[in-house]
Amino acid sequence: MVVLAGVLFAFVAGLLPVLPADAADSLVIYSGRKEKAVKPVVDAFTKQTGIQVDLKIGKTSGLANEIRMEKAPPRGDLFISTESGIVEILTKEGLLDPYQSAATKAVTDDFRSAAGTWTGISGRARVILYNKTLVPEKDVPKSIFDLTNPKWKGKLAIAGTRERTTLAWATALVALKGEAFTRDYLKGLHANDLKILTDNTEVWQGVGRGEFAIGLTNSPNYYLARQNNLPVGVVYPDQDSGGIGTPVNPNAVAVIKGAANPEAARKFIDFVLSPEGQRILVTQDYEFPLAGHVDSSEVPPLKSIKRTAVTAQRLADLEEATLKLLTSLNQNW
Amino acid sequence: MTQAGPLTLTPSAPLAPASGSLARTGTFVLLAGVGLLVLPPLLYLVAVALKAGELGAVTIGSLVRLAAMTLSLATLATIWAMLLALPLAWLVVRTDLPFRNLCRWLAVIPLAIPSYIGAMSYIALLGPVGSVNNWLSALTGSPQQWVNIYGFWGGVFVLGLFTYPYIFLLVSAALEATNPSMEETARSLGESPWGVFRRVTLPMLRPSILAGGLLAFLYALSDFGSPSLLRVQVFTTAIYHQLNTRFDQAAAALLSFVLVLITIAILVGQQMLLHRRSYVTITGTARLARPLHLGRWRWPAALLTGAVLGLSVFIPLGVLLAQTGSVGHFLDVVREQNDYIKNSLLMAGLAATLAVILGLLIAFTARHTPPWTGALLPGTIQIGYAIPGTVLGLSLILLYNTYVPWVYGTVGILVVAYLIRFLTQAVQGVDAALAGINPHLEEAARSLAASPWRVLRRILAPLVRPTLFAVWALVFISAMKELDATLLLRPAGFDTLPVRVYIHTVEAEYARAAVMALLLIAFTALPWMVVTRLREKKLV
Repeated sequence: MVVLAGVLFAFVAGLLPVLPADAADSLVIYSGRKEKAVKPVVDAFTKQTGIQVDLKIGKTSGLANEIRMEKAPPRGDLFISTESGIVEILTKEGLLDPYQSAATKAVTDDFRSAAGTWTGISGRARVILYNKTLVPEKDVPKSIFDLTNPKWKGKLAIAGTRERTTLAWATALVALKGEAFTRDYLKGLHANDLKILTDNTEVWQGVGRGEFAIGLTNSPNYYLARQNNLPVGVVYPDQDSGGIGTPVNPNAVAVIKGAANPEAARKFIDFVLSPEGQRILVTQDYEFPLAGHVDSSEVPPLKSIKRTAVTAQRLADLEEATLKLLTSLNQNW
Repeated sequence: MTQAGPLTLTPSAPLAPASGSLARTGTFVLLAGVGLLVLPPLLYLVAVALKAGELGAVTIGSLVRLAAMTLSLATLATIWAMLLALPLAWLVVRTDLPFRNLCRWLAVIPLAIPSYIGAMSYIALLGPVGSVNNWLSALTGSPQQWVNIYGFWGGVFVLGLFTYPYIFLLVSAALEATNPSMEETARSLGESPWGVFRRVTLPMLRPSILAGGLLAFLYALSDFGSPSLLRVQVFTTAIYHQLNTRFDQAAAALLSFVLVLITIAILVGQQMLLHRRSYVTITGTARLARPLHLGRWRWPAALLTGAVLGLSVFIPLGVLLAQTGSVGHFLDVVREQNDYIKNSLLMAGLAATLAVILGLLIAFTARHTPPWTGALLPGTIQIGYAIPGTVLGLSLILLYNTYVPWVYGTVGILVVAYLIRFLTQAVQGVDAALAGINPHLEEAARSLAASPWRVLRRILAPLVRPTLFAVWALVFISAMKELDATLLLRPAGFDTLPVRVYIHTVEAEYARAAVMALLLIAFTALPWMVVTRLREKKLV
């Protein structure tokens, strides 16, 4: 017992230094965005402002659940979400504080919350990713509606709704084409044995390694696959004059209501939307900058892409119905 | 662990209840403390689940399907784990297997490998585009899918591989503690080796097989990482779906509550199964058995052992090592790694130390109080183990952030979560050890007017000391590997090794993830190695 008590004492003594210190100039960021993408921005921010940042990296949805449970008192100051649907839900629940500034207003309307609670910082387009060894150039599909063609049977993959960009994609279809049309289209995909995977990482890896010929995923994954020397090609689908375009999902930033350091959180938002912040953010991860203009030779300019015309609010409203539709077709969604 | 015997609450002659108001107060404080620790998350679960109303998004059909899938996964994984553990335990304890001490030591290593890391290695190896498929396709010249680890059977395979040490530990300890003369007698009477095993050895091992099997089963039931990676739809993955896609906490709580009920039913069933029969307690010191000469079976047996250890230790570690890339990269990541090792060791060490102290007090109290508190205390603690980590994490956030925010803001909340999840391991282990102590010792001391506290401190604690070290290592191992609750509860800026493995994996930085995973496994196995070495040298 004496030994045990000694060990316990040693641990408690050793623990004291790791208890968080209360610094006046500090900021707690909950980020669903990758550490690799966010950390460089955070470091530059700290260097410029002297504000110390504690970063909690997780899945966007997990962190959102945390924010919902933590409301009195909140522990995080700023939330970086990888998708607009979640910040819309948090807005509805009254968990976010509006913030608007010259910097946020530089972002186009469709990448900003109507209530001013969140602002897009970078974007990802929904794309068709294909394996170049399995799909000859002449066969490359130009529209998502080509994928119900029987020649793709057993060759298609998508992430389940655990990746909320998948849900946003299906919801955009419902918004544009109606539920009946979407149901038929999805049935067509299932008739082609569409494989529903756990996450987008599995999609780009599966397509890159040849497990699947074609995957529906997000644009940065194309560059990730290329970085890993996988033989993939990318198509921004439905770009023809009559086409519906393709959804571009923003990564969003928001101040958590009741945050201990709201001022620092606002400073960070302005910083990440500044030319320097945007440059660091989007060059890390092949995303579309949403404020200002960042020269990136690899990623096409956002202007050049035809986007689906659906607002984030409309997406949020239709989300639950879309999810019901998906799960009624297949449990794996 | 070797002296712990079966990890169950064995009924023994009730000891005289501790008298005196001090002892009664102590019992009350302990009961209240344990209650406050475990019950609020459980009550919260029920309260939220009730809100789901008419089952909400969860249909009866899907519940039945999930229950069937989860139970068959856990059952088959446990059977597979038994098939791996039993021959191995018998071979290393009772025969002249080559390198038996080394094998015995290695057989525990899979416990230090979190099942999600094991699953990742096997996906890299046996996935549809894994190494094995690539090699076979290149070898035969016909590109096709030969093996596919994804799905139900892959889940069974991986879970069994990384849970069999629970059974192995208990069974090899029991084999060592039982008197081999019964087996020798049976053998001399002309019984075949298989007959001896089936008719003499196996019945003696029943309690430890059941107890170890229960641990493996409960692990499989509550595991999220490996079924999720291997695409098996079970309760934990469905709960995750409700929470993270649908943001439906009521449905998640309902599913969790059903899972907790299933666990309680299994625990009650196990108690009844054990209580229906009485097992002769081992008396006196067991004479060390003369190892059975395997003769021409020696090398086939070695081959079998090698296969089990290969699948559960060398292959996963080999895959991880291959993924780390160059030695230079490995060292770079190790150098860069922040305080992650320190954080992990500190949290797991603190949780294990508290668990041992509390476990000793609880097991002691449970044996000296009227039967209802005696059953209530450990029973309550066992339920904590059944709450899925993600759900436990969320309920603790709400409860502690609202009512004890000064705990929630710190790393103390992680210790609370680890205690709720793993305290039962300590209580069960210590209780089993206390059950083996001759009650006369205690009665003698008590008759000399020694206080219960003094009896515990001066007589019982020293006697069960080896078990305390083993139990410490067991809780430490579990806490080191914990991911689901840690992910939610860690204060910003405080990451542990499993959290780093998770982050790097999600960000598709597999080389970094592999380095972190190897560090995690090494530091998880470390205390076990130390305890075993000390034990071999008879230092503890």
